[in-house]
Amino acid sequence: MFERRLYHHIDWGLLVALLALCGIGLANIYSATGGWTGVVETQIYGIALGVVALVVCLSIDYRSLADKSHLIYIGIAALLLYVLFFGAVRGGSRRWIDLGAFNLQPSEFAKAALALVLAKLFGESRRGVVTRVDLLIAGALTAVPVFLVARQPDLGTAVTLIPVAFAVAYVAGMPMRALGVLALVAALAAPAVWTFALQDYQRERISTFLDPAQDARGAGYQQIQARITAGSGGLWGKGFQEGTQGQLRFLPVAHNDFIFSVLAEEHGFAGVLAALGLYLFVILRALEAARLAKDRLGAYLVLGVLACFTFQVIYNITMSAGLAPVKGLTLPLMSYGGSSMVATLAGFGLILNVRMRRFTN
Amino acid sequence: MPPPAAWRTTLKRRLVVVAAALLAWSVAIEARLVYLQVIRHDDLSGRAERQQSRTIEAPAKRGEILDRGGRVLAYSVDAESIYAVPTEIDNPDTAAAALCGALEDCTGRERQAIADRIRRGRAFAYVRRQASPDQARRVAALQLAGIGFMKENRRFYPNKDLAAHVLGYVGVDNTGLNGIEAAYDSLIKGQPGTVLIQTDARRQAFSRVERPPTTGATLELTIDQYLQHVAERELRLGVEENRAAAGSIVVMDPKTGEILALANWPTFNPNAYRDSRPESQRNRAVQDLYEPGSTFKIVTASAAFEEKVVGPSDAIDVSEGQIRFGSRQIDDDHRYGVLSFTDVIVKSSNVGAITVGLRLGPERLSAYVGRFGFGRRASPDFPAESPGIVWNPAKLNDSALASVSMGYQIAVTPLQMATAVSAIANGGELVEPRVVRAVIDDGARVPVPRKVVRRAISEGTAALLTDIMEQVVDHGTGTRARIPGYPVAGKTGTAQKIVDGRYSRSDYNASFVGFVPSRAPVFTIVVVIDSPHGGNLYYGGSVAAPIVRRIAEAALRHYGVPPALNADPPLLVARHDEPRERATSAVAMPAIVTLAGASPGSASLVPDLRGLGARDALRTLAGLGIDAQLYGTGIVTGQEPAPGSPIERGARAVLRLGREAPRRQPPPLRVGGPVELPDARP
Repeated sequence: MFERRLYHHIDWGLLVALLALCGIGLANIYSATGGWTGVVETQIYGIALGVVALVVCLSIDYRSLADKSHLIYIGIAALLLYVLFFGAVRGGSRRWIDLGAFNLQPSEFAKAALALVLAKLFGESRRGVVTRVDLLIAGALTAVPVFLVARQPDLGTAVTLIPVAFAVAYVAGMPMRALGVLALVAALAAPAVWTFALQDYQRERISTFLDPAQDARGAGYQQIQARITAGSGGLWGKGFQEGTQGQLRFLPVAHNDFIFSVLAEEHGFAGVLAALGLYLFVILRALEAARLAKDRLGAYLVLGVLACFTFQVIYNITMSAGLAPVKGLTLPLMSYGGSSMVATLAGFGLILNVRMRRFTN
Repeated sequence: MPPPAAWRTTLKRRLVVVAAALLAWSVAIEARLVYLQVIRHDDLSGRAERQQSRTIEAPAKRGEILDRGGRVLAYSVDAESIYAVPTEIDNPDTAAAALCGALEDCTGRERQAIADRIRRGRAFAYVRRQASPDQARRVAALQLAGIGFMKENRRFYPNKDLAAHVLGYVGVDNTGLNGIEAAYDSLIKGQPGTVLIQTDARRQAFSRVERPPTTGATLELTIDQYLQHVAERELRLGVEENRAAAGSIVVMDPKTGEILALANWPTFNPNAYRDSRPESQRNRAVQDLYEPGSTFKIVTASAAFEEKVVGPSDAIDVSEGQIRFGSRQIDDDHRYGVLSFTDVIVKSSNVGAITVGLRLGPERLSAYVGRFGFGRRASPDFPAESPGIVWNPAKLNDSALASVSMGYQIAVTPLQMATAVSAIANGGELVEPRVVRAVIDDGARVPVPRKVVRRAISEGTAALLTDIMEQVVDHGTGTRARIPGYPVAGKTGTAQKIVDGRYSRSDYNASFVGFVPSRAPVFTIVVVIDSPHGGNLYYGGSVAAPIVRRIAEAALRHYGVPPALNADPPLLVARHDEPRERATSAVAMPAIVTLAGASPGSASLVPDLRGLGARDALRTLAGLGIDAQLYGTGIVTGQEPAPGSPIERGARAVLRLGREAPRRQPPPLRVGGPVELPDARP
């Protein structure tokens, strides 16, 4: 299956950029958690496992994977359902399946699975035009995992699934009119969602985002701290392991949601620019893979996988800059988290896969 | 190549849109980061620093106050102050209730006050300052959020009200509020240190002392704890016995100006100064003015002798027993006839004193009033000292001049009186009275030097006055101050008090000023009793003189001043004939007073080297031809042979050196002129 010549078409630049981001993340986790701890070790295992997953996803032709996408999708949905009832509880939500050595977070893999099934849906639609039926089916396919993940509750991850559907539908040629209708529906639904769907703490987060100072020691605290952390880093930063904000726990879960703040504090604007450049490179390179893709399936698959990645990157960095409400959204590749790392790298395996096979039949 | 499929065209077009949006976002986020990290960098790093660290002033430990023998009169103990961080306390009322429960001694009102402070404050509010260790422990056991402790220190006066007016007291902010504590506050206080505490978001963790506090200087007072005790005891007994309103006593070393004891009644306990009434806290000996009455005649007499207006044996006719100024008539208590001027003072004839005062005139009398230090603050050691009230000589008419001559229409403090009397005792020099003997800072003892303000009168005049004052005690108005074996010089005073603007017929100030032994004075003693109403009537000779005697007896015994065997010196008359020469020798050399146990000359005695640095000590010993062996480093803390022991030729001295300033060493007090006595303390 893996031919020699495919090897030459691997996007080594993208791969190196991915690993560089993993490295930067690892260094910052090391710094934020105060040295060599179990957290750092777990992250290293995560990266290693992620590279394996990437290789696996690279090796199997994405077309045969897409053929099995409905099975994968159903399997993930079943796992999400399982988690809802039998998952390990941490921090008030059931997100994990305890596998002894590590915890598996199925919602992370739901992203790739959704990308696959949606790419298959739009890529093989017969007439080459996105129909209303297609959109409805796509909506339903997205809604199932979104609903299941949101019930855990893990609103952050649930929300990242939505861009997958949008991205795929958009590049597949969804009429702009449909987009407009959706926007209208969203605007109308927002008050209802605010009143009925959101939990108290979620509402609080949004209102403190609008005015962080109203509750400086409470919910607005983290957002203010994010600004202080980034700002105190300055142009060149305080130096490796010199970041006091993260180490003195002014930033909660610095090695996780606020890893970008740690980077901004310790390595300043210079370090931020480097990481931001790498992310941009990765995303643009992946977009190029979509453009070069041999078929619609490949292009849509790339976009689907890339969508949730990009969404998370943009959201997390915007949040770290103090411009978005604080949410439990990690920065893929840099934040601590095994499942996320494996899922993300596996996703990029798919992207590399598509690019690599652009000349094959 | 076939034209691209429709889907690919759409894809490409929309990919461009996506890429453009992405780039727009990245430009926006970079602009934001430039704003945060470059433009607002200073502001935000300041905020980071502020929230991560807080600077707390580490209070300095206040220096101790010692008596002249190194006995501790005031010291500071560590005390925990309890504070709250109000922003971390959810419910001030429950917190205050819990805190009060742990403190165990707070009233409902205090609980309310604590709750209010917590409610109003933001970053800091005191719960209780200087709590006891038990209270601090109980509060700590509550483990309340937002409650912290800090070390402060609390002043403690182990002898309670002993020397309370001299010492003063310290407020809760470690600032001296009265007495020596206030006058020397900057010296005793020490430098507070700063502690920079780095806190994490949970306010835990590592503190780092940036600048440690320095302990304040220790003050060694001139006060002798024992004499102070005696003075206070005798004052209290005297006031009670005479049913008096108040009183003051000053005991002073006339040669050095060192105040050995200063007592006032009523008094207070500085450990609980808040519970005492303001009038108890008043240091009457330096703050309260009184008309000195007849005791002031020594000033009139001094001026008369100095100006050669009258000689001691010149006759003054006081046979009328009264003198008139317009409608005002001043009487003597008895009809004396013609008196020598000496007897005018000895018998305290008002008419006689006035006669001489009028001869002097306002200018000359006022000059001596000023030379004795009246009308000016006597000492820098008392923050609230009164300068007294003295007439402008140009405004002194005969009536007023007559009043001043006998100690009326002039207001003085007991301390001023003691200073003036000391000038007579020491041969004419007005020595600045002081209460701080040495400052011990960083292990080095810096003695406060004796300060002569000016020469008030000549030695000859001083000798004449001494002679007259001896007669006052021997057979005049002050006989109740006589002490067997010791010549005592003194002068009584009984002055009507002004009550409601007129001289009272029932309220007097009974006073006695004197020094002992009169030929080689060691102690000047001034006693002023305010409004005695007891069985001793109200005379200085009957009320104040016995108190002086009791204090003098105790002091002489305490310092081991040997009795003068021939208390009635036969050379007195001779001194009158050749006053200058004799007076000089009488003051400088107590030849006529035999001091038992004293060896002549100080050069043959081992000096007190304690407190000196090694180099100074060796230089001193080398000058005496003594070799020395040193142990340790620092300043001399012990010496062998002991100070005051005779030097044997070829002797070797052993000096022990240490870092600590010498404590609890007996006070060397010069007794009998240049002769240094070995310490006679039990």
